Amino acid sequence: MADEKILLELCFGTTCFVMGASKLQEIESIIPPQYKNKVEVKAHTCLDLCKNSTYMKAPFVKLDGEIISEATVEKILKAIERKIDG
Amino acid sequence: MSEKSFFVDIDCFQQKKHGQNAFGDCFKSKRFTDEGRLLAVLSDGLGSGIKANILATMTATMILKFIEDGKDILKATEVIMNSLPVCQVRKISYSTFSAFECSDEGEIKIVEEGNPDFIHIRNGRLVEHTPRIVTSKKFTNRHMHLYNFKLEPEDRLIFCSDGVTQAGMGTDEYKLGWRREGLIEFVESEIKRDPSISSRHLAMEIVKESIRKEPDHQSKDDVSALVLYFRKPRKLLIFTGPPYRQDRDAEYSKIFDDFDGRKAIVGGTTANLIARELGREITTEKYNKGMLPACSHMDGVDLITEGILTLTKVLEYLNEGYDRWPDDAAGRLIELLLDSDVINFMIGSKLNQAHYDPDLPLELEIRKNVVKQLEKILSGRYIKKVNLKFI
Ligand code: FES
Repeated sequence: MADEKILLELCFGTTCFVMGASKLQEIESIIPPQYKNKVEVKAHTCLDLCKNSTYMKAPFVKLDGEIISEATVEKILKAIERKIDG
Repeated sequence: MSEKSFFVDIDCFQQKKHGQNAFGDCFKSKRFTDEGRLLAVLSDGLGSGIKANILATMTATMILKFIEDGKDILKATEVIMNSLPVCQVRKISYSTFSAFECSDEGEIKIVEEGNPDFIHIRNGRLVEHTPRIVTSKKFTNRHMHLYNFKLEPEDRLIFCSDGVTQAGMGTDEYKLGWRREGLIEFVESEIKRDPSISSRHLAMEIVKESIRKEPDHQSKDDVSALVLYFRKPRKLLIFTGPPYRQDRDAEYSKIFDDFDGRKAIVGGTTANLIARELGREITTEKYNKGMLPACSHMDGVDLITEGILTLTKVLEYLNEGYDRWPDDAAGRLIELLLDSDVINFMIGSKLNQAHYDPDLPLELEIRKNVVKQLEKILSGRYIKKVNLKFI
């Protein structure tokens, strides 16, 4: 997967922001060097997950389309690791 | 405000006499939004410093109060002219003034006593007016100059204290000062350079330029410039919150898109909805600034911010008042708000399920209340015309 990057989508909507997404923007600078150029980070106005009660809890992020709820920096890093290292 | 009507943009910029700690000129104005009229007075107190300040403030306040209480501007100013005392030593009036009353249709009445004659610029050129002169029955050396005419769109009027026209007096280059002629030439060139220059900026440039005429760049007198610009109102439309009925999303998105003026979206869900309806792409900045979520961008929209947190911050900043607004989403929204004359809010009333999460503060449910408070402060303190529409 030479140039294939995985896409990390952050949500800066009200709900996610209040529930902790404000701290997730640092993620880009925290991603360990071996993964750095394999992850592309994008932000959204609202991922439209907060309106749907079937999802768990904000803040939400998406990693290659997969929803991570109650996201924290640690949780996201783990998920990235899993995704890349398999 | 009807579609046809214009906006009277006025602003005054002042500089104290060098070394003084009080302004010797005084500017006061009041806008009556409902009646569509505006009153303004620029008064220059004899001398400088605190004494001049008191004289000028007294004169300006009294004129404004009289006209406000329903007295005709001519009557009001005549009373003042006849009652202002004369300086015992120098036998001249305690203070001079320019006062005017202007309607949204551009009908203007001007009264000047002792200040340099105002300057009227239309299509980049000077328009001269001949005043009707009324002489004080009590002090025969006091004359009021009266004017009554109708402004045309894009007209500008410049009023100033003699600190402007006498700037540089006595220097080799300006033996008699910058004079009215110099000021006219400068104003014409400034308008040519920037035909839509705001009253605030033009007034500032005039004062700065007149101080440059002094050999040491220090003002020798109080310097004030008051500019009136009769122009099309700058309109802003803010769409915040999804409409109550989802089947009208398309209709409201189109109204938003067709709006003739600047546009802002306040709210992530609202932004997504409009992007979807208009088939446009949104990009969100990756870094949040201050305590607020980052701004986003979409073709045809001047600003996109998060919703309730940003609105609440805007209200907080406006209440506190800053010299420079913080560099975050709320600061950017304020810049847009204050640079507009007419502000329309379209407020969606759909309840946002997410905000009923008991973990979230109550604040998130009160978009409507925040907007209502914003309306109050924008129309009160910042003299904006604000319309609210709940959809
Ligand atoms: S605020 Fe994050 S999904 Fe809506």
